[in-house]
Amino acid sequence: MLNKETAISKDMFAPAHIDPSKSEKISKPSLNFWQDSWLRVKKNKGAVLSLVIIVIVIFLAFVGPLLTPYKFDTQNTKNNNLPPRIQGLENIHWLPFDGTLKRKNGTEYNPYEIREVKEYYWFGTDGLGRDLFARLWKGTQISLFIAFMAALVDMLIGVTYGAISGYLGGRVDSVMQRIVEIIVGIPNLIVVVLMILVLKPGIVPIIIAIALTGWTSMARVVRAQVLKFKNQEFVLAAKTLGASNGSIIFKHMIPNMFGVIIINTMFSIPNAIFFEAFLSFIGLGLQEPNASLGTLVNDGYHSMIAFPYQMIIPSIMIALIMVCFNLVADGLRDAFDPKMRD
Amino acid sequence: MSERKKLLEIKNLKQYFNEGKPNEVKAVDNVSFDIYKGEVMGLVGESGCGKSTTGRTIIRLYDATGGEVLYDGVNVHGNKSKKELKQFNRKMQMIFQDPYASLNPRLKIADVIAEGIDIHGLAKSKQERMEKVYELLETVGLNKEHANRYPHEFSGGQRQRIGIARALAVQPEFIIADEPISALDVSIQAQVVNLMKKLQHEKGLTYLFIAHDLSMVKYISDRIGVMYFGKIVELAPADELYRNPLHPYTQSLLSAIPAPDPISERTRKRKTYDPATHNYQDNEPVEFREVTPGHFVLCSETEFKQYQAQSKQ
Amino acid sequence: MEKILQIKDLNISFHTFAGEVKAIRGVSFDLFKGETLAIVGESGSGKSVTTKSIMRLLPEHNSEIKGGQVLFDGKDLTKLSDKQMQKIRGKDISMIFQDPMTSLNPTMKIGNQIMEPLIKHQNMSKGAARERAVELLRLVGIPKPEIRVDQYPHQFSGGMRQRVVIAIALACNPKVLIADEPTTALDVTIQAQILELMKDLQKKIDTSIIFITHDLGVVANVADRVAVMYGGKIVEVGTADEIFYNPKHPYTWGLISSMPDMETNDEELYSIPGTPPDLLDPPKGDAFAPRNPYVMKIDLEQEPPFFKVSDTHYAATWLLHPDAPKVEPPEAVKRRQSQFPGVKVGK
Repeated sequence: MLNKETAISKDMFAPAHIDPSKSEKISKPSLNFWQDSWLRVKKNKGAVLSLVIIVIVIFLAFVGPLLTPYKFDTQNTKNNNLPPRIQGLENIHWLPFDGTLKRKNGTEYNPYEIREVKEYYWFGTDGLGRDLFARLWKGTQISLFIAFMAALVDMLIGVTYGAISGYLGGRVDSVMQRIVEIIVGIPNLIVVVLMILVLKPGIVPIIIAIALTGWTSMARVVRAQVLKFKNQEFVLAAKTLGASNGSIIFKHMIPNMFGVIIINTMFSIPNAIFFEAFLSFIGLGLQEPNASLGTLVNDGYHSMIAFPYQMIIPSIMIALIMVCFNLVADGLRDAFDPKMRD
Repeated sequence: MSERKKLLEIKNLKQYFNEGKPNEVKAVDNVSFDIYKGEVMGLVGESGCGKSTTGRTIIRLYDATGGEVLYDGVNVHGNKSKKELKQFNRKMQMIFQDPYASLNPRLKIADVIAEGIDIHGLAKSKQERMEKVYELLETVGLNKEHANRYPHEFSGGQRQRIGIARALAVQPEFIIADEPISALDVSIQAQVVNLMKKLQHEKGLTYLFIAHDLSMVKYISDRIGVMYFGKIVELAPADELYRNPLHPYTQSLLSAIPAPDPISERTRKRKTYDPATHNYQDNEPVEFREVTPGHFVLCSETEFKQYQAQSKQ
Repeated sequence: MEKILQIKDLNISFHTFAGEVKAIRGVSFDLFKGETLAIVGESGSGKSVTTKSIMRLLPEHNSEIKGGQVLFDGKDLTKLSDKQMQKIRGKDISMIFQDPMTSLNPTMKIGNQIMEPLIKHQNMSKGAARERAVELLRLVGIPKPEIRVDQYPHQFSGGMRQRVVIAIALACNPKVLIADEPTTALDVTIQAQILELMKDLQKKIDTSIIFITHDLGVVANVADRVAVMYGGKIVEVGTADEIFYNPKHPYTWGLISSMPDMETNDEELYSIPGTPPDLLDPPKGDAFAPRNPYVMKIDLEQEPPFFKVSDTHYAATWLLHPDAPKVEPPEAVKRRQSQFPGVKVGK
């Protein structure tokens, strides 16, 4: 707190001119919501890695079956129950791709050599001699399809239902919420078993069954959000300007819920995959020769001791997909959460 | 004063929440006042006194439990066709309190401001729409470059001015300002108040200015109403209210506001208000009475006489 | 007077996505025993950050004290370990926050919340602490403290809760009390009560108060000395009379004249143009220069040092340099100068 007497020339004390329009200038670059969120997701290494893995898995789900010369549903009983063998990797003994299996007494043998099979089955074959590599990717494809469709239907029903219930409020809201509670109260499995008894087991009934029971959480989340936004001043401002209900919901409310909706959907995808696998595993799922990850695990389970690879490979795939989707959803939640803004 | 044109007449307005239930709240309880064309009517009171609810009920954000609001002689409440409602929306607009919550964070400023223009079809082409937006931005002291930015990039004062531009887009005659400056910093409050005054003179606007900051209200308002628990207890021209507050609640409120003046603060005497001091009898009519011309107080007959005597001195 | 707390050249930055925000840029001030120092400034001026750094309450993941010292009792608080700091927090220095609704734990009885610091810092027995809690509640003007001590926060009104918060803060007779906008969330009549209570208690227990607020009326009511902050710096500091009746910094002029007083009527309010500086990229020279109607070339080149106005009054503006031209302050400030009780200090 001292007066510093430094030499300053007198003309420095002449009035300066400042452009008044500049005082309102904003120097930060303009970032919209998506750019801002992407910056945050990018910081989360786990989420980015998971996203990359998901993209690769989805890509292979479509391309994978074309990479081998064998089709997923072609049976070749001569070559059944062959262990994984990959060209080039077969000589590296500690990798599980050398075409050997273990007997119960612990001795190793090579069924390819014993049965004089020339072909290379990358992930081995199942009890009917179908190529597991092709079946795995076909199964992933179907599992993902079911999960995405179920999540999409969930989202459409849930968002609409929740928005209507929250926005109208009053008696309508009460009735709609009681309906949700009843649906939540019935165990999923009962609904699904009934559905599948009525319709024949297949992709569509499974999607319907999962969607029918899954939308309630989305509806609840959206309703809570609508209730929150209903009294926000920007919504009141739109009302005083004479905006219609539709425009208030679609222009002002839903865009502000994108974050929550996306996160909820991202969490419901792995749930749907798991539920589908579970249904297939207990035999209510897809029918032969169609494959999903659940049916593959189920098939492998029957010969788990003799041919462990038949179950391990699809199980790893289920775990990988679930972990990745959960990590991405977690990363998105952190990115979208306005409280984390700094 | 009586010769001036009444723009808005509020008659026995009631807004009860949870009506008929044990937790009934009489947020606005039998409130009547007029607003003259071209004036600024201030409404003050503490949180929960019903001043914001009054404003929101007038503009139909809530449906009134009872009473009527006449705008230019036409009742605003009651059943209306969509067309009538839209016309009404253009005449009466609102400015909100929280500059952070009053702008949709996902819309660009241009779309925020143009919302009213779009709803009422006030621009024939995209170009005209943008021209109007630029003009409005300039009116509130911002510029073209701000049109493509998002609300979170602006400071509180700037956002509040954007909110004003949004209200002005439909060329209203009457604006309800619901605590427009209480969330702003002192130096920014003056900017917004000056802007509102300037707009009032240029466009001949009428304001209902709701606030709890009495010094700003006194500065901007022609007349001030003081609310307490859903009722207006005193209503008078601004200077009169400050010089001669009659209702004990008004007196307590005025004595509680700290002035930016250390000398007078050292000698400040604070008055407290206890509703029991009125000692109203059960059948005693407590009404809104005109003590001196233009100065109304909610009081009983005996108090009325006492206030009249007090005002003559 | 005895200096109880000394802040020396404090610099604090926040690391954000957009870059480094220099929130505090060289803040120095002293707090004397038994006084109330008000820190005023608009949001983003750094007043809350300064006091939070005294209590070491800044978020650790993105804030950084880049330099400076906070001296209390001969110790530099910025260098203490978390454990040592815990011993000071709530005992020697305590804090009151803005929102009484969120600064109490809703699931704990009021009494237990007051007893917590007593048992922790003063090793009181439970019974003694409880007695002290009742006594404190009586001190802050809560009726029937014997009953209230066993109630939960939701059974108290906003003003009553802030009284409880004050009781907790005062439980250990702290040497310094930091009040961060303690009345902003309250109604004016309740605010008046709380301010009176704080002034009253200060006399009784002789603590020093740092009072953060943006409301100049409140400042006039409570403060002995005032520090005005702008853009992460203190721009003017002086006694309340000096700041209110003889301000020297153009920002203080703007603040004071932008509030209408009883004499302001139809004239336009003085308003400071523009918006506060972006501390991501603080302007060269004086941060206030872009909004300063009296701006000079030097303001754009060099940051002004503190110029001494009186022994207690300093202002950081080049206008006080002997070579600077004489300027007329706004009308409202001139009116105030005529009321200045002290000897007129010529420029």
